[in-house]
Amino acid sequence: MATQEELKKIILDVLPDVDCVIGWGPGPEPLCASPYFMRNPEDVDYLLAGPASVHNPALFLPEYKGRKTGVVVKGCDSRSVVQLISENLIRREDVVIIGFPCAGVVDASKIAAKLGPYGEPGETERAIFDKDALNLSLGGKELSIPLSEILADKCSRCKHPGAVISDYFAGEAADALQVKDDFTDLAGLESLPLEERFRFWEKEMSRCIRCYACRNACPLCVCRDHCVASSREPHWLAQANGVRDNLMFQVIHATHLAGRCTGCGECQRACPVHIPVLLLKRSLGRAVEQLFGHHAGLDPESRPPLLTFQMEETNIKEREW
Amino acid sequence: MEASSKFIARTALAGWLGELSARFRVWAPRREGRAVLYRPFDPQAPEDNLPELDKKPTESAKHIIFPRSEPLINFRRKRDPEHPGQFLLDLRVPEAPGPSLIFGLPPCDARGFMVFDPVYNGSGTDGQARDIYYLRRRAAALLIVRSCSRTLSTCFCNWVGGAPDSAEGADILASEAEDGFLLEPVSSEGAAALDSGLLVPADENRLKAAQAARDEAKKTLKPAPDISGAGKALLERFEDAAFWKGEAAHCLSCGICTFLCPTCYCFNVTDETAGANGVRLRSWDACMTPLFTLEASGHNPRQDKAARLKNRIGHKFSYYPELHEARFACVGCGRCIKSCPSGVDIRRIVTDSVGLTQSPKPKAAPRNIPGGKE
Amino acid sequence: MSDVTREPAGTGRELRLVGFLCNWCSYGGADTAGVGRFIQPTDLRIVRLPCSGRVNPLFIAKTLLYGADGVLVSGCHPRDCHYAEGNFYARRRLEVFRHLLPTLGIDPRRFEYTWVSASEGQRWQQVVSKFTEQIHSLGPAPRLPGAPELEWMQSGVNPA
Repeated sequence: MATQEELKKIILDVLPDVDCVIGWGPGPEPLCASPYFMRNPEDVDYLLAGPASVHNPALFLPEYKGRKTGVVVKGCDSRSVVQLISENLIRREDVVIIGFPCAGVVDASKIAAKLGPYGEPGETERAIFDKDALNLSLGGKELSIPLSEILADKCSRCKHPGAVISDYFAGEAADALQVKDDFTDLAGLESLPLEERFRFWEKEMSRCIRCYACRNACPLCVCRDHCVASSREPHWLAQANGVRDNLMFQVIHATHLAGRCTGCGECQRACPVHIPVLLLKRSLGRAVEQLFGHHAGLDPESRPPLLTFQMEETNIKEREW
Repeated sequence: MEASSKFIARTALAGWLGELSARFRVWAPRREGRAVLYRPFDPQAPEDNLPELDKKPTESAKHIIFPRSEPLINFRRKRDPEHPGQFLLDLRVPEAPGPSLIFGLPPCDARGFMVFDPVYNGSGTDGQARDIYYLRRRAAALLIVRSCSRTLSTCFCNWVGGAPDSAEGADILASEAEDGFLLEPVSSEGAAALDSGLLVPADENRLKAAQAARDEAKKTLKPAPDISGAGKALLERFEDAAFWKGEAAHCLSCGICTFLCPTCYCFNVTDETAGANGVRLRSWDACMTPLFTLEASGHNPRQDKAARLKNRIGHKFSYYPELHEARFACVGCGRCIKSCPSGVDIRRIVTDSVGLTQSPKPKAAPRNIPGGKE
Repeated sequence: MSDVTREPAGTGRELRLVGFLCNWCSYGGADTAGVGRFIQPTDLRIVRLPCSGRVNPLFIAKTLLYGADGVLVSGCHPRDCHYAEGNFYARRRLEVFRHLLPTLGIDPRRFEYTWVSASEGQRWQQVVSKFTEQIHSLGPAPRLPGAPELEWMQSGVNPA
């Protein structure tokens, strides 16, 4: 909590120079925070920076382009900010970046699984995070769940829990962690024969309601109101909610993020019917890493690998006919 | 009515739904991973797809009567033999669907159809604008509502005239009673569906158990504020751009709230074509998306997400009630709150607009503040 | 086309192959092969584009998901692009996209890209023969169901 108090002090200092500071505040349910826009000093009291701060506040920055805006970021969020800067989608001088040492955020699906026998997460009456555990009361019972069991998968492979770029930092900035990302999240799917993977997507996509929350929650989907998915000419997708069109949309989303996606996982978190849509982006992220050694969102000076080339590509082995 | 109430043991449920499948296409909530969705009940493998009745369905039941997309007309272009270079259209209206039965929907979902009904039954047009596609499905649908044995923190049916055991819009009201369900007929069609050898007359103990469970569930809802002034308050807020920018600051402008909502009834009509064949399709639309109001000229009267959110809330709590006997176009199911990836809370927007939001300390969230210093 | 159809070895039917060819090199190469009367399988339907750099990976996704059994992209050889560098960008994009296919459950051998110049009629014949053979060895691609609401449109069967 010391970090949170320090963050509040920083925000109060920054506030007079910016339009607002985007962070997290209390959400509609005890277990759920909400993106939070602080403008007045008294708003800062309600800042929540902890395991419930799941949202990526970088999402909102392009809306504020041209206006000086503060943003509180976890490590993963800071990579989205870097990527937006590197693509000139926001300007570095417009943002005041406030970092803190993130200890990981929770995955609502994992909490739901833990609560299974006791009730639904929505029945939680009170929830308090301490350093190592989520303590909550539900149906008259007091439960304590170790944080390590409910942290999001992305946190287990996170190399940069503190911001990779910041103007202010609450607490001690640490070096990058020596964590290896083996893409184990893809291993389950890829252990299946090809045809079964195809059927896996068929089944998952049958739940899709085409709400486009995956797209709208993505900090790098900056076309917003002008997405190709909504275009009638060319007619990429039918209005009918078929499995094939639903999957085609995910391919559209994933390919448009190739070499840009920082793996923040907001697309998957936003999905109301829990489709693992991050897998496709992770697959492309792995390809970009293997082929070009590129990791998105680490260097504001870098160029997305698909917007450049080498005359002789080191890692592309073309087919001999 | 109580005299004709029946009881069904949990173990007999699959058999009964199988029996009903001979007369209806039966739908029931089913668990798929973490989601609970309404799916057709498969009478061939009844034990494998037992309804999920403990968790609230992720989606509402509206797509069973108002499909996500529905062919209005199938058409084919043919060359006109009399006038080469011109085309004739061969039009076919798809056949009417058979009767359907929805088992186990929560009371709020059944009440949702009551919001649809006047709109599609020609209200305000002297019955001229009646929608046959909706009405024929609606007339042929039997709703077996299960009263809620518990509520979620996002539930607020008591704000908008509902209750965890409301039978409004139901044909049969099912309530958990010990090892099974008490089944009370609400309509004559419902009573007819209870004519089965698998059901036994409800005894006094089970009637009491069901009533006790229902009373218990009601107690779990927080008291409702008086939002009867919301319609007027929202109209007064119509020009208050700063208010709406603040409420919408964290909104993603996605379609979750609209598509999961049991009362959102808006649609779009498009033609899908392949070669000479085509389908005129009616699909769900969402006022939270820019395309909802985009005009052919390129002008969009609702430029930003604040204007879109204002429409959604205004429609539910102001414009609709004004047209349709003061009924809110919201049944308080709370799905828009529960599934919102960004924590937008429709209750809060309504109470903010009426000036009813409780002092923020210590628990409730402060209002989101607009981004721009205007 | 149909009167010169050759049945590929071991099958009695054609598969649906789509080629995206650049106007300046590979389309010319295919033309050269035709003028030279080289015998080729006829499964491939060709779409002519200004440059391999015009190939949006979504063309390939759409083609594979909506009914093709294989997709071939062919452009000018690297350093020979009519627009100097279109094929360099294409190479990166297409290679990255190909890595996505196994995750989707689509055999990556159903999509190949290569370079054929306008004078290489013989090479074109070789590429198209080998690619066709490769797809035939894989057989027809698995399909996803289309939207049931559009069944009438896609089946083309006149409802009674």
